[in-house]
Amino acid sequence: MSDPLNLVFGALADPSRRQVIGYLSECGTATATELTGELPMTRQAVSKHLATLADAGLVESERRGRETRYRLTAAGADWDVRLDALKQHLLRRRG
Amino acid sequence: MIVREIVLPAPREEVWEALTDPDRLEDWFANTVEVDLRPGGGARFGWGNGEERHATFTEVEPGRRLAFDWDDDGEVEFTLDDAAGGTRLTVIESSPSWSTALDLQALALQPSALQRV
Repeated sequence: MSDPLNLVFGALADPSRRQVIGYLSECGTATATELTGELPMTRQAVSKHLATLADAGLVESERRGRETRYRLTAAGADWDVRLDALKQHLLRRRG
Repeated sequence: MIVREIVLPAPREEVWEALTDPDRLEDWFANTVEVDLRPGGGARFGWGNGEERHATFTEVEPGRRLAFDWDDDGEVEFTLDDAAGGTRLTVIESSPSWSTALDLQALALQPSALQRV
């Protein structure tokens, strides 16, 4: 399972992990506690699934204050949106 | 680490203004913006959903380079270069606390650690 694609396919093969992905995709970010509350899984299962998804590069985590939030790896998606907004702003000014 | 590069249809001076002038930032970045543009100066960004973020400038080199630390997490660097058709803007955002897969795995192996985070 060292092949990155195998890791991704393996991670996606499990229905519980697809539920985790589905929830993160809808809500943007979530803590392990929120996921445990929303999905029919134990906290241990949620953290194992998050680790598998992170190994496959599908999920990443970010500390916000005292909590750790998980999100789908869309590294830089925020900046894609912001930079596009900046470009539109400059185009508006140029008329 | 996140790296993004974009060529913007405006000269460096104007891109700089769009990145640093509160009125202009309020048109594309956040709903309410306060900026104290000097190294060590602060910035406050507010969004319509109630979210608010604070930052502290670490580098202010007009028309060339702007860097700040988010007070909650991470560092952002903007670099401006002349390019055909306008300005090439490079953004680098990094954070020491963006966990690696290994960190997550360690957490998974120690469920009790998760209780604390």
